[in-house]
Formats: sequence, C-alpha cells, structure tokens
Amino acid sequence: MTPPSPTVLTATNIRKSFGDREVLAGISLEAREGEVISILGGSGSGKSTFLRCLNLLEVPDEGQIAIGDVQAPLARDRHGRLVVSDGRAAARLRTQTAMVFQGFNLWPHLTVLQNVMEAPLRVHRRDRDEVMATARTLLERVGMAGFHAAYPKRLSGGQQQRVAIARALATNPKLVLFDEPTSALDPERVREVLALMRSLAEEGRTMIVVTHEMAFARDVSSRVVHLMNGRVESSGPPAHMFGPDASPAFRAFLSPAAL
Amino acid sequence: MDDLTLLGFGPDGWAPLLLKGCLLTLAVSAASMAIGTVLGVLLAWARLKGPRWLRRTALVYGVVLRGVPELLVILLLYFGLPSLILSLAETFGWDAPGLPPPFLVGSLSVGLVSAAYQAEIFRGGVGAIPKGQFEAARAMGFGDLLCFHRIVLPQVARVVLPALGNVWQFNLKDSALIAVTGLSELMRTSLVAAGSTRHPFLFFGVAMALYLVLTTLSSTAFHYGGRYSNRWNRG
Amino acid sequence: MGEHLTFIGSVTAQLVRAVPVTLLILAVSGVCATVLATGLTVLSVARSPLPRLIQRTWTFLFRGTPLILQIFMIYYGFAMVPWIRHGMLWAAFRDPVFCTCLAMTCCCSAYIAEIFRGALAAVPRGEIEAGRACGMTGFMLLRRVIAPSLIRIALPSYSNEIIMMTKSTSLASTITVLDITGVAQQVIAHSYRTLDVFCAAAALYLLINAGLSALLAALERRLDVDRAVPSISVPPVVEPLS
Repeated sequence: MTPPSPTVLTATNIRKSFGDREVLAGISLEAREGEVISILGGSGSGKSTFLRCLNLLEVPDEGQIAIGDVQAPLARDRHGRLVVSDGRAAARLRTQTAMVFQGFNLWPHLTVLQNVMEAPLRVHRRDRDEVMATARTLLERVGMAGFHAAYPKRLSGGQQQRVAIARALATNPKLVLFDEPTSALDPERVREVLALMRSLAEEGRTMIVVTHEMAFARDVSSRVVHLMNGRVESSGPPAHMFGPDASPAFRAFLSPAAL
Repeated sequence: MDDLTLLGFGPDGWAPLLLKGCLLTLAVSAASMAIGTVLGVLLAWARLKGPRWLRRTALVYGVVLRGVPELLVILLLYFGLPSLILSLAETFGWDAPGLPPPFLVGSLSVGLVSAAYQAEIFRGGVGAIPKGQFEAARAMGFGDLLCFHRIVLPQVARVVLPALGNVWQFNLKDSALIAVTGLSELMRTSLVAAGSTRHPFLFFGVAMALYLVLTTLSSTAFHYGGRYSNRWNRG
Repeated sequence: MGEHLTFIGSVTAQLVRAVPVTLLILAVSGVCATVLATGLTVLSVARSPLPRLIQRTWTFLFRGTPLILQIFMIYYGFAMVPWIRHGMLWAAFRDPVFCTCLAMTCCCSAYIAEIFRGALAAVPRGEIEAGRACGMTGFMLLRRVIAPSLIRIALPSYSNEIIMMTKSTSLASTITVLDITGVAQQVIAHSYRTLDVFCAAAALYLLINAGLSALLAALERRLDVDRAVPSISVPPVVEPLS
C-alpha cells in the first residue's frame, strides 16, 4: 500500500451567515495532493460561499483554514467577529491557491499573455524570461497559443475561460479552486472547458470544483461532496455517490437531472 | 498706431506679454489640475473607503464646491488667505509674512473646485470596474497597492480620461477668473492692453483666438490620450 | 459674539437684496439660451453644409473661450465700435446686465445645443421609424415622437447646465453689476470679514441651486414613463368564464 499523499487543504468547521441567514453551518473538508473534489448542491446550498471562504474572498464567521503549511490569518476583533488579521499573510495564503471564476474575470486591459504573466511576475516576482516561457507553454496547453496579443474582449466565453485556467496555473499553485467554471458558457463551449479540466485532473493537479456538471463529477473527481442547507449532507467516492447506496437526499438532488 | 504694430514684437507691441500670458495661463491651469487630481483622488478614496465622518465631509465638500461660483472661491482665498495667515502668525508669534503670491492663490482656488469635480469622476471610474476584476486579483495574492497600480489605474484611465479632458477645459477657462487677483495671465494681460491702448475689441479678440488655440490643442491631446488608453476595448 | 451675529445678519440682509438681480440674469439668459440652442440644434441636422458649419463654428467659438472674456468683449469691446456707440443699440450695450445676459445666452446656448444634439442622436431610430410608419411627417413627428424622447434624455444634462449657469451669473460682478457676488465683494472690501461674507453668499447660491435642482428633478420624475401613472384609465379585460 502506498503511503497517503500529503494534505494540501484543511478547513475545519467553517461557518458563515449573511444577516440572519446561515449559509454555512459548519463545514469541514480535507484535500490531499492529487485529489479532485467535486462540490455539488442545489442553489443556495452554500457551495460557492464555501469555496470563496477557502481563499478568504469571504471571511468566515467561524473556523480554521490551512493550505499547505500556511495558516489562514484569522483572529477575533474587539466585537468578537472573525477578521483577517494580517493582509500580507492572507495574500501569502492566496499565493498557494488559484481560482477560476464563473465570469472568467480576465483583466480586460491586459493581453492574453499579460493576463497569464501578471501574477507570477508581480506577486511572485519571478524571472521575466522564465515566466514568459511558462506562460507560452500553458497557453499552448489550453489551446490558445495563437492568441498571445489578443485582448480578452475579442475572445469567446470558452476561450476566455481557457485563458483564465492558464492564468490560474501560471503560479503553479498547490490547489486550484473552480467556481462553477462552465455555468456562463454555451453548451458547445462547456465541452472544451470540461475536456481541459479533465486533462488537468489526469495530470495530478489538486482541484476543488463547484459545479453542476454531473458527468464531470462522476467521471473525473476522486471525491464528491454534497452540500445541503450549509452542511455536508453526504460525501464519498463517485462510485459510491452515484451508486445504489447513495443517500436518499443526494439521489433526490440527482433525480431531476436524471430525467 | 495700427493694429499690426500693437500686436507685434516691437517696442510698442504686446506680443511678448501676450505670449507670456499664455504660458502663465497654461502653468496656472496645470498647477490647479495637479492640485485637483491629488485632492480629487483623496476625496474619491474618502467617499469610497473612508470612515463615516470622512465620507460625509467629502460629500459636503463636493456639494459646496460644485454649487458655489468659482469667482466667489477665488475671492475667498484672495481676500481670506492673507488674514488667515496673519492671524496664524499672530497666534504662533511668527513674523508677519507678506501677501501670498497670486499664482499660488489662483491655482489653489481653481484647484479646490477642480478637485470636487475630479473626485466625482474618479469615484465613477472605480465604480465602473466590475467587482470580479478585484476578486481575481485578490485570489492570486495581489496586495492593495499592486491591485491599485495594475488593475484599477489602467482601467480607470480609460473611463476617466475623456471626463478629465473636460475638467481641464474648464480649468483653462476658469483660470481667466484669476485675473481678478492681478496675476498677469492671458486674460489680465489682454485687459491691461485693452485699457492702455484703448483697443479693447482688438485685444479681447486676440485673447479669444489664443484661448481657442489652447483649448483646441489640449482637446486634441486628450483625444489621442483617450484612444491610447482605450486600445484594449476596441472590438 | 452678539456683535458677530448682528454682522452676519446685516450682511445676509444685504446679500438677499441682491438675489433678484442674480435670478433676473439667470432667467433671461436661461430662456434665451434654450431658445437659441433649439435653433442651433435644428441647424446641426440640416441637410446642407452651411447651417451645420454655422452651428459648429458657434460651438467652437463659445465653448473654447472663457465666458468672462466674452463678457468683457461685449461690454468693453463693443463700446469702442463706432456704429454701436452712436447707434440705436447703445442704450442696451451700456447696460452691464444686458451685456452679461447677451454673453451668457451666446455661451450657454452653445453648451445646451450640444446637449440637445447628443440627446437627438440618442432617440431610438425605431421610435422615429414607427412614427413614419403610421404616416407622421415633419413637425408632427418632431412634436409627438422626437421631442418627448429628446427632452427625457436631455433633462439630466440640461439640469447640470442650469446649475453651471447659476454659478456663471456671478461673473456679472466683474463688470460692476451688484448681484450676490458683487455685493459680497463690496462688503468684503469694506469689512475684511471674508469668511462670514463668503459663507453667507455661498449659502445663498447653494439655496438657489438646491431649489432649481428640486424643480428640475420633479420635472424629470413627471416625465419618467416607467414610473408615471397612465392618465387614461384602461378598463380591465374580463375573461369570459369557460
């Protein structure tokens, strides 16, 4: 038996409320190197909020997060609320991860190549030639080699998302977070982006994917987590989750999709 | 004396003084634009991110300075600044300083008004950037400064440049009001020339032509600047 | 302290007496500039190039030079032109209030015409085509279809311009008119209590502007189709029971 691979992410008891509405009611998740975790759940189940807590785009009300050996700098202020206590440490935590957004969020004033080079060059302060070489390889990898000088506005949604994935990989992050990466795309474009994500998974990237793509969750992920009402309702390997022994709630969640 | 002698470079000609007036007008407009930009950025920041009292103060500043005639602001500073300095000097026991130079009073008063307009422009410019842009940057570990420098600034420039061009035109024309403080910019020079030669029609006409040159040149410059900052947005 | 309040009170009283002068200049030049701007807008969409050239030159000339210079040109410059000095118009051109109104009419008409022109370009083509399609032409099309849309689109910028005009009226003080700023300047020169006088004058201008903004905002709300209550009541459609 091979020894278990090292832990990349530990999130413990994450809670978050917006006003009176409790969106996350205590979620814990651990991700090991090379794992692909799909987070599924109905709308309003808190899956995007949970993902955004992991890199502190949202500050959780409760809980602890560690990525690699960097602990999230969360502390209580004088009102007892959890806040980011150290901006630099938060930035350091984020440099361990990368995020792919539903709306791509490419920077419109930078070319495709500049978008990919921006973070490794400015945040990680790596060598320019080296960054350039990596960026070119990555753009080729996502099938956007011919578009270096194009501005995002001229690209289709699928092309923009592929560039966004290249941008996410450019810093060689320990963990890539995908926030519904195909929800804003035409059905035809969904396929090209999913194919790319599948090849990344096969490469051994550690990924956490919030998605509505059941086929992707079933065929690609190593673990499926079902969120309901801000809690982990059930989780397990896809063979179990999509098999006959899955929890009734998850099967109910799947059933409209199965129709 | 005929018109050409009056406008020439000869001993009776006003050309050198008029050209000097042009330069002074440009200088005072540029100074007030710079004051307006610095203060405008601070005010916009106060409106967007400041604590409550600062937000309120910035709001009131904008309402007052945009609702009160520029001339009144210039008069306030021209008449008010010396007495303020004097009373400060008395309180702290300094030697009474001389009158503040008209250039400073002029560019400061036009700049204070300019800041109120520029603050609105910057606030609108930052608001026009989609929130996702900042999230993408923060998710990759950008700090506040880097985010401002690499994401906000280049995009705000596109939205803001045409509007700033407008403010510059207003500054250029408002600078004519500084003539009341006795600063020999273009307006004042043409006024003096008109008075001493008794040819007001000629000199005001020439001053108008010179202002037209200044406004046209600068609007062309802003046009090309705007096109450059917008290069990524053309489909 | 009591003496201070008395001073502010008397200054305010003096300034308030100058408010009608400011309002007169604003009203006259506001109305004239709007009428003139409408004419310029018509010129700007003419088929032949000459009227369009006139509108463009007008805009270039009056937007590219400071208003104060235009006022001086009219007040001091025209006084030296013999046929004005000795003609019928001298009675008008020797009056600084008239000269201010004339300069502001010319200058602000150029700005307002640009606002109208922009609004005209923003009137959806489809609305005009729909008007044409049901047989409207010329003036009726303008009156029933184009103007209502145009006014709605132009109103916010127009309101801004009116506020700018209120501020511009203060330039009258540079050619001896005793409007609010003129009186304020007089008092400051005599008393050296700059800040008090400034605050009182500024408050008056802010009050005038607030009143105008409220008026124009009310007009904007009235014209807002999305919120307006239809004036013709539509009888509810009664579905026959099946």
